[in-house]
Amino acid sequence: MASKRKKKVAAKEAVTTVVVMRLYIAGRAPNSVKAIANLEAICRQHLKDSYKLEIVDVCEHPRRALDDGILVTPSLAKLSPTPGAHVIGNLSDTHSVLAALGVHLAPAT
Amino acid sequence: MIDAPGLNAPPLAPDKAAAAFKAWMRRLVTDTAELAAFDAGEIDAVMDRETMSALMMPEAQTALHDSSRIVLSAFDALPAEVCVLDAKGIVVLTSRAWRVSGAAHARAGLDVRAGENIFDACTDAPENERVHATAVAAGLRKILSGMQQSLRVRYACPSRRARRVFTLTMAATSAQGAVNVLLSREWHSEPKLIGKIDGGTAAKAAEIASAACAGAENRLLAALPAKDYAQLASGLESMSLTHGETLCEPGEPVRHVYFPNDCLVSLLTVVESDRALEVGLVGREGMIGASLALGVTRSSVRALVQGTGTAMKMDAKRFLREFRRSQALQRVLLQFTDSLMVQISQTAACNRFHLVEARLARSLLMTAERMRSAEFRLTHEFLAAMLGVRRVGVTVAAVALQRRGFIRYRRGNITIVDRQGLETACCPCYRHLRVTNGETG
Repeated sequence: MASKRKKKVAAKEAVTTVVVMRLYIAGRAPNSVKAIANLEAICRQHLKDSYKLEIVDVCEHPRRALDDGILVTPSLAKLSPTPGAHVIGNLSDTHSVLAALGVHLAPAT
Repeated sequence: MIDAPGLNAPPLAPDKAAAAFKAWMRRLVTDTAELAAFDAGEIDAVMDRETMSALMMPEAQTALHDSSRIVLSAFDALPAEVCVLDAKGIVVLTSRAWRVSGAAHARAGLDVRAGENIFDACTDAPENERVHATAVAAGLRKILSGMQQSLRVRYACPSRRARRVFTLTMAATSAQGAVNVLLSREWHSEPKLIGKIDGGTAAKAAEIASAACAGAENRLLAALPAKDYAQLASGLESMSLTHGETLCEPGEPVRHVYFPNDCLVSLLTVVESDRALEVGLVGREGMIGASLALGVTRSSVRALVQGTGTAMKMDAKRFLREFRRSQALQRVLLQFTDSLMVQISQTAACNRFHLVEARLARSLLMTAERMRSAEFRLTHEFLAAMLGVRRVGVTVAAVALQRRGFIRYRRGNITIVDRQGLETACCPCYRHLRVTNGETG
């Protein structure tokens, strides 16, 4: 019984942890458009409302991207919870994005 | 790749430009997954720090294409003889001066061309160059493994008319994980030959010798005036010494003397055939075979290489001739002999009066200073011989130092984590020896 209760609490915590991300894109370039669409789909499906996403257009704010150490776009940075992580590309590989964000899929799904 | 002497840097072919761009990207991204994204064409823009802007993809490639052409042609036009090696030792780039000189010297002395592997060239070196080639290969491996940032090796290649000598400087140029090595070759004419020609050239030779002397890593050699060093230099051979190698045994005649650059040699007194105790430690501040200076031609100790590295080797007879001739060498050697005697007597007292843990701390600090590295390899057997205790005693002392957070010890690999802490754990002998030898650590 006790272990079951613990599991429930843990599951609840995992859901309520808010993932903060920043996606760096380059205007309306094809991979950037794809990256936004892919990331939004992933967030809708796996993170529900527990995420914050900021999209930075490096064509408009190049200095910000350089200050953040961004070298290529599209590039997704997970800022919190720690550890931080980076994914480069159009984010079409859902598994690697989820792994970087620290979201573990249940074996059943 | 550019390889014909005197040829201007040609524009890069489109496939080469793409390859250069890819190599550049490889340096920017460290993760293979990220590189895969790049390969899959999932990148839209590259940030450019120079213009503080985002370069969209096709333009980014063209921009790099142009800038790499400028860099390549500038490299090619350098007056120095330089070449760049990749992490496997393959020549990626050569300057025009490197190629011209290679052709002029009939490809003597490790003249590698673009696309060739320098390690293969070292293995294939002629018999009379083998010792230098081995030292170069050992040095390169050190640099590629990150143990050392730069290294100078003197390389002599005898030809029918005269011995040609050059100094090869190897320097790491790493960028985010990918290590490249920049090789630069400076030819010297043999100082002895030049002295006979004319004053101007002799002055230049002295200048070269003085530069080489300043670059000598061994402190005894570096302490010599340029003129004395030049006399000595032609008899010195650069070589690598590996852990566990015995340089001389007690009672045997001293055939060679060694000036360590970055290797470490233990002097052991052998009590019975299988029992030995370390009485001294010699690194770049000293030499092996100093007893010759006192007129003793047979070794009284066993000299065992404890830390792999390079050293300058000289024939004992030649060394004695130079010793008789050069007052500066006599002075430097007598000073060293004195400091070695202090070290030996202090070690004897230390072995009798101080606890194993404090002695171990002292040994580790002395080793680190001479190796110029906080990380080195020392096996239990070695430490037991150094301290004159059984292996169990070493284990207990090492565990104690590790528990106090001063060192990390794993399978013979020792890392000094807290140097100041370790100094507090030392016996006073360490400070005494440090002051006596004027070491800076």
